[in-house]
Amino acid sequence: MKRSYIDRTHTWGRIFSVTAICVLISLPIAICLHYDAWPEARQVLIGLRGVVPIFWTTAVLEIIVYAPMLGTGATYLAFVTGNITNLKLPCALNAKENAHVKNGTEEDEVISTIAVASSAIVTTVILAVGVVAMSPLLSKITAEGSPFAPAFKQVIPALFGALGAGYFAKHWRISIIPILTAIILVVIDGNMKTGTLIPVCIVISILAAYIMYINGLLTGGVKPENPLKSFKKDKTESK
Amino acid sequence: MDFKESKFMYAIAGFIILFVIAQSVFFMVRAWRRGKEIGMKTSDLKNTVTSSALFTIAPAIAILATVITLAGTLGLVLPWIRLTVIGNLQYEVTAAQAAMEGFEGSGAIFGKSIEDPRIFAAVSWVMTLGSISPLFLLPLLLKTIQKKMGKVSTAGGDGKFGDIISAATFIGLVAAFIGVSVAGKAPTLKINGQAIPDKNSMGAGVLSVSVLITSIVVFMLLQWLCKKFKLTKLETFIMPISMFIGMGMAMLIYNISPEIAQIEWRPVS
Repeated sequence: MKRSYIDRTHTWGRIFSVTAICVLISLPIAICLHYDAWPEARQVLIGLRGVVPIFWTTAVLEIIVYAPMLGTGATYLAFVTGNITNLKLPCALNAKENAHVKNGTEEDEVISTIAVASSAIVTTVILAVGVVAMSPLLSKITAEGSPFAPAFKQVIPALFGALGAGYFAKHWRISIIPILTAIILVVIDGNMKTGTLIPVCIVISILAAYIMYINGLLTGGVKPENPLKSFKKDKTESK
Repeated sequence: MDFKESKFMYAIAGFIILFVIAQSVFFMVRAWRRGKEIGMKTSDLKNTVTSSALFTIAPAIAILATVITLAGTLGLVLPWIRLTVIGNLQYEVTAAQAAMEGFEGSGAIFGKSIEDPRIFAAVSWVMTLGSISPLFLLPLLLKTIQKKMGKVSTAGGDGKFGDIISAATFIGLVAAFIGVSVAGKAPTLKINGQAIPDKNSMGAGVLSVSVLITSIVVFMLLQWLCKKFKLTKLETFIMPISMFIGMGMAMLIYNISPEIAQIEWRPVS
């Protein structure tokens, strides 16, 4: 029997993940070999002690939170190419919204993969051209005092304002609680990292939406059956 | 010649970039073929490529600016490689800083160009090993996570609950960034024990709120125009256009009054 497209995507994703590990590890190995510069293991471990506890934990959270929104192919790609929250995820969501595809379908998977792949290619090309040809010019464009500098400092509000607008209008009932929660949390702790804020806001948003849904606030006043009860029922039946 | 920007370093960068592009092209071609097999329109697929490419330009230039920020310490090539694969500014600075702590007494500090290849090598090890975990976790976890999530989203039968949960997840994500844009302090980079504002960004203030409101209003206006006059081709570009106009607002305010533009609600002292 022919395996499904998603199953085959997992196989390719795994192959590319393992290949990416080898490619990435080749960077420090090549530097050490070429310059004959081998730091002591102790020195590297001291450095790792400062990053592994935070970043390895965050990685697990990121996979759980972003993978369902990105889909299979796009997740494998996005986690290799990085810049997920500030670029790949918004890009995929924008493409899905434009293409009017239903969440979780194969069309959704196709659009999301094409969006993240296009974004990864364009980013790589912009970085390459920028570094090789334009770095003197770029440092002038983004330097303090340049008329363009304020624009590049405001990419995040511009990006998420435009991205959120359509959703807020369409789902304004669901939007109020998470937005207020985020503002209150940031008012309390202005230095709160987005890495902490994002999972908290997502959990609160889902909980609030769930409570509204089972109370009929999102279904025109008609109380639907609690979906988690039917989920549990399905689980017991499958046992 | 600076060893951090030698031909050898550029050759490694070229190799890694080729890998990233090859992987992206491979996944794109597979998805495109699958899209055609299941009857999707070529125009929809092409629109996805065009709008995603356009959407990427501004954030990619912002990422390029972070390469320049890191270049003072690490040279141009290592940050370029790191931000092409997995990296982001906060992580790279933290990792470089943590790696330099292993060389106490060497005089290596963030902000000063690294001259010892051993320190440079240690930084590249820490940056790589500290950020590589998703590539180990994905092959092990992704399928299981998606199965579990799929079951929750289809619970309830008609798929409406799944759509609501998916919208709520996304809104939660956007809400976090809205919160930061409305009330956040400027991000700081912990450099040599001191919290220093990241000069590539600002805290919430006149500019961030104006940009946020502008991009929301422009998006709504363009969406309304598209519906009213059936401008289906423009629909694909509403998002990047709104983003650019939002960023343009920042430039406009700055050029009218730099003093007002620099007002932050909670400046980092």
